[in-house]
Amino acid sequence: MKKNSIAILLGVVCAILVYAISIQLKTIDELNKTVSGSISENGLRDEVLKWKGRYDSIYAKLQEEESRLEKVRKEASSDDEASAGTREELKLVNRMLGFTEVTGKGITIVLDDNKAQIAEGVLPGTIADYLVHDDDLIRLVNDLKNGGAEAISINEQRIVSTTGIVCDGNVVRINGQKVSAPFEIKAIGYPERLIGTLNFPEAILSTLRSVGVVKEEPKKSNSITIPKYTGTISIKNLSALEGQGE
Amino acid sequence: MKGRGTIIFTIGAVVALLVAIILMQFRTVEETDISTLEAMRETELRAEVASWKEKYEEASKQLTETQAKITEYYETMESKDEAAKVLEQELLQAKMRIGQEAVTGSGIEVTLEDNIETQIDDYDIYKLINELRLAGAEAISVNEVRITAMSDVKSIAPGLIHIDGNPLHSPYIIKAIGDQTYLVSALNQKTYGYMDYVIKSYDKTGYITTRESIVIPATKKVMKFEYAEEVKQ
Repeated sequence: MKKNSIAILLGVVCAILVYAISIQLKTIDELNKTVSGSISENGLRDEVLKWKGRYDSIYAKLQEEESRLEKVRKEASSDDEASAGTREELKLVNRMLGFTEVTGKGITIVLDDNKAQIAEGVLPGTIADYLVHDDDLIRLVNDLKNGGAEAISINEQRIVSTTGIVCDGNVVRINGQKVSAPFEIKAIGYPERLIGTLNFPEAILSTLRSVGVVKEEPKKSNSITIPKYTGTISIKNLSALEGQGE
Repeated sequence: MKGRGTIIFTIGAVVALLVAIILMQFRTVEETDISTLEAMRETELRAEVASWKEKYEEASKQLTETQAKITEYYETMESKDEAAKVLEQELLQAKMRIGQEAVTGSGIEVTLEDNIETQIDDYDIYKLINELRLAGAEAISVNEVRITAMSDVKSIAPGLIHIDGNPLHSPYIIKAIGDQTYLVSALNQKTYGYMDYVIKSYDKTGYITTRESIVIPATKKVMKFEYAEEVKQ
């Protein structure tokens, strides 16, 4: 009797131990998949650099080919007015898509986190109220578009038809690229109208001023240069609606 | 007697071994927990790698397309008519990108409606446009107004929103062509996704429908550059 109960006890203990081990093995296995299936942070940093380098070189190649295409296009299509017109139109559309660097009159404005206020520590509200957020940029860009902006950039990231702005930890991603405060926003357009629109009472600028994140007020300039968009605009899910297009 | 001693000894050894293994594993697990912070930075790095990889793949695809066009032009060197067709095709694609051409494809429809308590305002719409772009939307329209790169959304009065000067009312039907799964899951992200954070938490009305065939019209506005000049390189 006694012998049996010892055996049962030992059996139960063993079963529990085996069960515990198997659970832990599973956990570790999963951790390995996500964490140490990794090549360590340094390895990943190299990986980032590698892909960035690859992108840079293929983008340079793409630029080369684009200019070659332009030449071939001119050579191949005839010199008649229709073709010349089509070529011009194509150039203009590509320019408006953001594929060229542009310059002209416009305004600049700089937003930055209100570090002084945060350091002082006397905050009506929370620290988050004194930081520049993705939404502030989204609103400001919409106001600039409302003011007739033809080209906009934030820290040299061109705003194009596919541009999204999103917070990513304490930085902002624009066109998938990280940018951080201070944010220099440039817009080409009629300067008076741009500034006038920003100063509308319902525009975001008054709110930004009230929390002290406007580091430099909107400033007119006769020569603003906005870089080209260095990405691609995908149309893989689109097809033209023939016959109904204009 | 002898047999029993051996059995007990064996069992004892097995138990000791198991305990030792468990202890070792506990230590491993603990160490992994300590490195959570490191792991998070790693996640960030991984996202960075993925983002560059994606950009690389897009550029690579674009490069293939450009090279194909160059070849096409070369092949049509003999015939100006053929070349004109290639040129037209190029212009068509550029117009699809910029919004001067009606397009079709699969995607989603987001309906936003005023209700008795809350109304849809301009932010709800341009924030949605931003989220759709982040999720890879290739063409977007709001109540049949094509959204272009420089389209603006403005609340004019309660229940009235202007997009590029076009007056629009509830219900607002936002159409987007792109990867359906991607678009839907981006908007439906828990807590901070658009549907939860912008719509539901403010008691606004909105829902998503997936559509196999969406038609998005061309913009009616005249697009031009009056102030921006090309910088010649």
